[in-house]
Amino acid sequence: MSADVSDLSLVRRVQRGDKGAFDALVLKYQHKVVKLVMRYVRNPAEAEDIAQEAFIKAYRALPQFRGDSAFYTWLYRIAINTAKNAVVSRDRSPIDFDLDLQNPDESYDMQGRLKDSETPEALTLTEEIRSTVNSAIDALPEDLRTAIVLRELEGLSYEEIADAMGCPVGTVRSRIFRAREAIDKRLREVFEGGLGRAEELG
Amino acid sequence: MNEELDSQLSAMFDDELPEAECQLLARRLSRDDLLKARWRRYAVIGAAVRAEHGVRLETNLAARVSAAISAEPSLAGAAVAGKRAGAGGGLRWWQPVAGGAIAAGVAALSVLWIRAQSPVGNDPLLADNSPPTTITSPNGTTPNAPSTSDSNSNIYVVPNAVEPRTALVPQAELANFVVAHSEFSTPMNRRNLLSALVASESGTAGGANESEGANDDADTPAKSSAREDRTKNVQEAK
Repeated sequence: MSADVSDLSLVRRVQRGDKGAFDALVLKYQHKVVKLVMRYVRNPAEAEDIAQEAFIKAYRALPQFRGDSAFYTWLYRIAINTAKNAVVSRDRSPIDFDLDLQNPDESYDMQGRLKDSETPEALTLTEEIRSTVNSAIDALPEDLRTAIVLRELEGLSYEEIADAMGCPVGTVRSRIFRAREAIDKRLREVFEGGLGRAEELG
Repeated sequence: MNEELDSQLSAMFDDELPEAECQLLARRLSRDDLLKARWRRYAVIGAAVRAEHGVRLETNLAARVSAAISAEPSLAGAAVAGKRAGAGGGLRWWQPVAGGAIAAGVAALSVLWIRAQSPVGNDPLLADNSPPTTITSPNGTTPNAPSTSDSNSNIYVVPNAVEPRTALVPQAELANFVVAHSEFSTPMNRRNLLSALVASESGTAGGANESEGANDDADTPAKSSAREDRTKNVQEAK
């Protein structure tokens, strides 16, 4: 199996003008990119803004992507450069702390906006998702749990997992799919219960 | 939802689906919102398993990017625009050359204008090529003349003019050099060099004028007769 073939299929569609295919790439890599950017900025909201800028840059530069490297490797470089530039730009333009004494609510709003992504509600939702996934994994049969953990946590390929588990690649594919289905079933309840908007992409 | 389709989606998410199936599924994924939502949850599961702290799992980042990109032109058109921009980039390569040519032209015009404005600008810069004046001595001898077998061997040749400075050609070369390299020299250096060139050309032109003056002297009958008188006096003294 050639690596990155699924990403490349999506990339080719984007290059032919299918914007919906780029949504799939963003959905797949958004968490990785935000985590990457958070090496440079601590504020999650700022990290998301930078990640958004990186994705838009990647979209604009996609006509020049020839597939010589993996899509994520290419995206990784764009995200790193965007984050570095953002940090440099931020350092050069210090935040204006002059408070408008005539309108104290404005400064209050600014501070509120800076911490928007760390509101208790946002943190609770993230923790709820995480605990749901973890509890669903714990409830999985041993073979499914091992397969999904080796894939998601260790990043092994199906062939490597098959070697590790002593089973055919087809079995690995089936186990990982069934593990995901079981977790997804629990996750959908959370999304539909508290995160209805999460189902809407646009 | 079709279980086989979901299985394919899971394999595609892991880059483990054959290419032909990937292309078909990618087409469907880009259009099917339910499939896309499932794809998203697969990504959330991975992020949760990896315990990516600080990363919001329910982020609406994808929606924001999608909204921003919806305002962007389609990449199919952008690719064409990129190629056009590439062709424009080729044209851009000529811009410095064209600029240099314009600068060289302006410099050349400046040199010509300065030369035209100088007092001797209208005088010819080269010495007259008229044949030298010859004086034959009465006794047929040609003092200081090289002996040759030619019938004109006993002709005393008097240079009718001071040899014009050969520095004129180097001046022209220097002018060409300044023009050609004005693109690369700083304005101050260029101006200094042009000033030096003009100053030295004025001197050369003066020399040429002097040569012309010598020619004038030779052509004046009174001065010519005076020179003959001086020659006779010398011969009588001998």
